[in-house]
Amino acid sequence: MALEDYLSDAKRCCRCSYCKWIPLAQVKSWRFAKGCPSIAYKNFHSYSAGGRLAVVLSLSEGRSSYTDGLLDVVYQCQMDGSCDVACKICRYHMEPLEAMRELRFKLVEEGQLLPQHIPVIDNLRKEDNMVMKPKAERGKWSEDLDIKDLTTESAEVVFHGGCQLGFDEELGKVARTAVTLLKNAGVDIGIIRGKEENCCGGKAYDMGYRGEFIKYAENNIEAWTRAGVKTVVTSCSDGYFTFKRLYPDIGSKFEVLHTVEFIDRLIKEGRIKFNKTIPMTVTYHDPCHLGRLGEQYIPWQGEEKKIRGQIVVYEPSKPRNNGAGGIYEPPREVLRSIPGLELVEMERIREYAWCCGAGGGVREAYPDFSYWTARERIEEAKSTGAEALVSACPWCERNFIDAVNGNGDKMKVYDVIELVQQAI
Amino acid sequence: MAISREAYQALEDIVGPENISEEPAILDSYAFQWLAEFRQHGSKFMPRAGAVVLPGSTEEVQAVVKICIRYKLKCKAHSTGWGLYGAPITENAIQLDMRRMDRILKIDEHNMFAVIEPYVIGATLQAEAMKVGLNTHMIGAGASCSPLAAATSFQGAGPDSIFMGSGPENLLAAEWVMPTGEILRTGSLGSGLGWFSGDGLGPSLRGIFKGILGACGGLGVFTKVAVKLYPWPGPTVMPIEGTVPAYTAQLPENIRAHTLAWSTWEGYADAVYKIYNNDIGYIAHRQFIMFGDELQAAVLKILTDTTRTLNDLEELLKKPEIQKLSEEMRRSFQIVLVGMTPRDIEYQEKVLNQILAETGGWKIAAMEEPTMAGWSLLYMIKLCFKNLNYVYAGGFHDAMARAGTPDLVTSGWMEEMREQKRKFGKQGGIVNDGGDAGMGGVGTAGGGGYNAFENFILYDPGDAASVEAARACNVDAGHIAVEAGAGGYNFFFMEKEQVQALLAGRARPAIFQWQQKIKEAFDPNGVGDGSYLCLDE
Repeated sequence: MALEDYLSDAKRCCRCSYCKWIPLAQVKSWRFAKGCPSIAYKNFHSYSAGGRLAVVLSLSEGRSSYTDGLLDVVYQCQMDGSCDVACKICRYHMEPLEAMRELRFKLVEEGQLLPQHIPVIDNLRKEDNMVMKPKAERGKWSEDLDIKDLTTESAEVVFHGGCQLGFDEELGKVARTAVTLLKNAGVDIGIIRGKEENCCGGKAYDMGYRGEFIKYAENNIEAWTRAGVKTVVTSCSDGYFTFKRLYPDIGSKFEVLHTVEFIDRLIKEGRIKFNKTIPMTVTYHDPCHLGRLGEQYIPWQGEEKKIRGQIVVYEPSKPRNNGAGGIYEPPREVLRSIPGLELVEMERIREYAWCCGAGGGVREAYPDFSYWTARERIEEAKSTGAEALVSACPWCERNFIDAVNGNGDKMKVYDVIELVQQAI
Repeated sequence: MAISREAYQALEDIVGPENISEEPAILDSYAFQWLAEFRQHGSKFMPRAGAVVLPGSTEEVQAVVKICIRYKLKCKAHSTGWGLYGAPITENAIQLDMRRMDRILKIDEHNMFAVIEPYVIGATLQAEAMKVGLNTHMIGAGASCSPLAAATSFQGAGPDSIFMGSGPENLLAAEWVMPTGEILRTGSLGSGLGWFSGDGLGPSLRGIFKGILGACGGLGVFTKVAVKLYPWPGPTVMPIEGTVPAYTAQLPENIRAHTLAWSTWEGYADAVYKIYNNDIGYIAHRQFIMFGDELQAAVLKILTDTTRTLNDLEELLKKPEIQKLSEEMRRSFQIVLVGMTPRDIEYQEKVLNQILAETGGWKIAAMEEPTMAGWSLLYMIKLCFKNLNYVYAGGFHDAMARAGTPDLVTSGWMEEMREQKRKFGKQGGIVNDGGDAGMGGVGTAGGGGYNAFENFILYDPGDAASVEAARACNVDAGHIAVEAGAGGYNFFFMEKEQVQALLAGRARPAIFQWQQKIKEAFDPNGVGDGSYLCLDE
């Protein structure tokens, strides 16, 4: 698809502003009714999905041109998909998130780069990671781990650590615990060890760098194929989305599971058992890329046609990615199964969860906005009375930890895996 | 041409650089509007503002208006900004986006009112009101809209108007930055007595605000208002079930949704009178007809089944049970009964059954099925799916809008309205929905007695031919409505000169001339945008 393919969407936007809120049916309070961090932070209408569609149309009609202000409108957004879910409640043919992605692709292709992203992408090209670290530092979490190295060995399952877990010394334990749990449960699992593991390419894709994404996707698919892998498991929700939703277009046929899905399965099969109680009240944050964006990939190629004069339909029928098929229950099932743990819910959950603030290149380019978005979520978590905010993505966790530390909060931040380990 | 540097700097000094912009792309996101295509010869863009300003307080609004007067700039505020009504109609005006003023300042549980700022939306006010056993009137445009705008700046009716009245009827005291830059506090607030009244004990200007269709952003800026709240004996938080997008609400026994039907318009009208006379019903509206009389049953099936899309429409339309349901719904409306006590709901249900028996009506069985009833209940109470107006292709507006007493439906108007649009539907430029998509209030004003219908024209704003067909349908309907003395002026869709031409040789309705006098009196500097409806003699 290209940006031109979304001009009809732009003209069909009715400027209703549903994209700014969580689905209106789900509004439970004034305080936590907003869905889109971008418009909530910047306020000008152009920072909403509807506003960006108008910008697409304005650009295409030559009414406006590339400026720093326009780049800011396009990039000060986490690409979290909240707008997409809210829009599609009533609109069956709109794809606002896809249109916003295509706008970023077009800007990058035409050399309209956001200056703050340039060093990050340069580092990716040189060091194969999105966290501005030397390649040699990747994978310290696995240095002394007794696990197959799939650069030379084969396994049914590959565990992909990813850039955040691969370099973050505080969070590396999540990857280590996940792999150990799966191995101890009898899973034939391995890793692409150390600096040989590559970035998934998903963050580059979200930032508009489609070429970089394709390069990393092809490299990873080749490495896994060589190692005889059938299933890809990751604890990173960004990676999960990338492998599950984006890689199939590059030819990937691997089964993709997030660790929480695998652990949930092992608990239900009796292969993981808990013998400790954790007396704690926690609330769960749905990562955008595991939740509303984590739906099954369904290939579709077709075209628009009209029936009854002007009703827009597709030939063949087009899948609706509206968040309904995201991964919501497995992490909650895991948490509920831990003895002593009480799970309480925030107001904005599942397909209408508020974003952690880290996605779409925002953490890299707009740290204040990223921090503000995380603070909003922590306030929501605090309103539940929970002692801890639990998630299933290292990007979310890093953003929350930084925001908690920056504000002197007492809220604890955990990955689901950490609590599982504590209970065993 | 941009506004002068001096004027821009003066505005920036008021709101700060982060709350003003003249970036072309940002200005175009404001110029982009639903229905602009009718006024702007197919373009989705209204005239581009000179700057957009986001004030954060009444004082800032006042200062901005004074700057506009000093530099001879037009000024127009919008709250949520949905529709061409929110955009300036001349180039280089100052667009005020009120979204920073979004607070619910007070919910007075005991005296049953709320004090709100412009960017509070229906959904958030309702959620907060329900926590204390109250509810708010929701404008028919739905839960994403501003109750302040509904009360001051537009017609403001909705499905619950039978019980809660329309927006202007719910307006209590108001704080108004007049087009002169002065601040006027109306009703009880004007006498320093608080927010509880819009009329007595202080200056009442409710009729001025309301006029024919509200101030429409052309008569100063409303910065705070109090609106009435109503009893809500339901849960403090609506329990939502189901999978997106087919959410439903299963509510306690004292809250029930029905779709009522009749085989004749006479039966329909008799029932409406009896419903008024017996004072039952919390919400009553001819709502789902908006999908078109031939399509409504099939569309409801799609909307309540997450496995279905509009691709299933043709197949569903062939099913006899769907055809039967659409036919049954031809002369129908939705009603929600809310009992304040268990005895109350039993009473209301009994009265309704008696009314149906006396008028030859019935409750449509397919709409009583739990999923459908739960979806209908949620739709009607929260108006959270209102954007389904756009579900077919992204465009709707109305033809042959008409207001009258309940027996309007027996006058032949409903059939005339259906045939007028059906003719255009068969030509393919607009959705061929059967012709009757006449959505409307069973009670457009508090207590009932006032019915109004808008026959939706459903079209594709991304398709120039469809836009042109919709415009032709709308203009044709306008001529018929004018012949019948029933409005149809389509001010917003047409240039003023076009409206004048439509009315050529006819007496202008006096309301427009009175609004012209009001405009001259309250806005001597002409700072207000031309959206406040006036016509020359």
